[in-house]
Amino acid sequence: MITKLVCDNGKFYRLVLARGPRGVWAAWPGGAAYLEKVQHFSVSENIDEGVRAPMTGRIVKVAVQKGDRVEENALLVVMEAMKMEYRLTSPFRAQIEEVCCRPGELVDLGVTVVSLKKLT
Amino acid sequence: MKVLVANRSEIACRIIRSLQENGFPSVAVYSRVDKEAPHVWTADEAVCIGEPHAYLDPQALLQAAKQTGAQAIHPGYGFLSQNAEFAKACEDAGIIFVGPSPKAMSILGDKRASRQAAEKCGIPVVPGEQACDSVDEAQKAAQKVGYPILLKAAGGGGGKGMRLVQNPAQLKEAFASAEREAHNAFHDGRLLVEKYIYPARHVEVQILGDGKNVIALGERECSLQRRYQKVIEESPSAGIDENIRQALCESAVKLGKSVGYKNAGTVEFLVGDTGNFYFLEVNTRLQVEHPVTEIRYGIDLVAWQLAVARGEKVKDPQEKPRGHAIEARLVAEDPNNQFMPSVGEVLELQFPHRPYVRVDTGIVQGSYVSPYYDSLLAKLIAYGEDREQARKRLIEALRETIVLGVKTNGAFLLNILQSDSFKKAQTFTTTLEGYDWPQTKIPEFVSQAAAQLGDVYTEGKMISPWQVLGAYRL
Repeated sequence: MITKLVCDNGKFYRLVLARGPRGVWAAWPGGAAYLEKVQHFSVSENIDEGVRAPMTGRIVKVAVQKGDRVEENALLVVMEAMKMEYRLTSPFRAQIEEVCCRPGELVDLGVTVVSLKKLT
Repeated sequence: MKVLVANRSEIACRIIRSLQENGFPSVAVYSRVDKEAPHVWTADEAVCIGEPHAYLDPQALLQAAKQTGAQAIHPGYGFLSQNAEFAKACEDAGIIFVGPSPKAMSILGDKRASRQAAEKCGIPVVPGEQACDSVDEAQKAAQKVGYPILLKAAGGGGGKGMRLVQNPAQLKEAFASAEREAHNAFHDGRLLVEKYIYPARHVEVQILGDGKNVIALGERECSLQRRYQKVIEESPSAGIDENIRQALCESAVKLGKSVGYKNAGTVEFLVGDTGNFYFLEVNTRLQVEHPVTEIRYGIDLVAWQLAVARGEKVKDPQEKPRGHAIEARLVAEDPNNQFMPSVGEVLELQFPHRPYVRVDTGIVQGSYVSPYYDSLLAKLIAYGEDREQARKRLIEALRETIVLGVKTNGAFLLNILQSDSFKKAQTFTTTLEGYDWPQTKIPEFVSQAAAQLGDVYTEGKMISPWQVLGAYRL
């Protein structure tokens, strides 16, 4: 943890900063944020689209199989963390390329759980 | 009396503190993932009960009680606190369950049975159907009361297993999902259907019973909810007048007396805009937001729970309630990203130290916020001579609070407390649904300082890929 005193327009602020795995956590009076380093190249744009876990949590249900064709907003995976369910849906009409998770499995934030091929 | 606390996190710490203050030896239980949690080392003794879900395992808890010679079990809230079978199992094992009798609990703690009990006492209830064990039955019930409806778990509260259903097409999926969530949270997948009342305030009465006499300790308003989870709670309610307050308190006491209620408990009501009110449910346990009542009445509800569990009689509080208290729940959810749960190690933690602000928490710096349990990190409760003073104090307290390592709803809480609708006490159960608030903007001086920090680290032994990059994003 590092504290920093900064002056902005004559007013002093005490910032509290801490290093996270891929960026910096920062808190100022009334706010806090995780500042992540922007990647130069994006993996997801080149290779086929993947649906990533929006949080660290447990896979409750996998609603699709490899090869399935799904409509936009179709349910793909149900996740749970902190007793809250979260439903991952297809962002577009797609074919399921790969299901990369199993029910009961704990997955980390940002991990691809289902990879999709966009259908037009 | 040695007491085992069958819970974790902030409420376990809070109960253990009361036990210590009152000279009762305390026993904590913990799951594998909670090995280093503060409640473990706050208690006089601690027993590992195994897997993350073990707080729901009656046998593991009873075994821990026997092993340590605990004479009583305090269940806290959530987990098995409203499980009549567990209360009965404690009784059978000769252990005092700090709660109502299994019989009183099976009536008041069960949503179906408590509705019937309320109706018998002449208290208005929300139109609905108690027994909906299948989608078909729920469909019929929903048609009868008319959409929109609420699906609720019959076996517990806290918004788990609750779904708002706007039309028949949504019912099937909502039913399955609510059933699964209810089963995961309470080991009880039963659901019920209720008409969705709006706009309405959520107002609840704190009661305390000794098995015969029951007293009311005023009300709390908890209208501000997200996903049916309370966000901000206060006492008194600024939205009801003295007549309604009295009617609510009298109803609550009557209901409690009708079952010979023994323990602290909460009778929840929905209050409509014309002062019409409906009984919602009873929580036969200590509630998350109990501190706002404690502060106004100058009492320790946990100490009272222990006292009545040992056979003491309740008596009216010596003094009249004073001032106003507001509580905000700081949770590990990201308000800038659909309130997604945020898991991780708490890298830095600073709470305010100021008069008239109470902080109840179950984490310390270095704690791991795991995905297994609910997202509550801390409760901040401010007292003021009036509502406005309490509001301002809570705002300042939140501005001083620092949590790094997991995302929190801190900025969201501040935004609500500073909103016009909150200032004017225009708070309804629907206020936070689709609540529009500006996302957190990172001040320029913060991103600059963060970038410099990156440089500092790259100069040290950490080899950082950021050194050539300047841009940060949220």
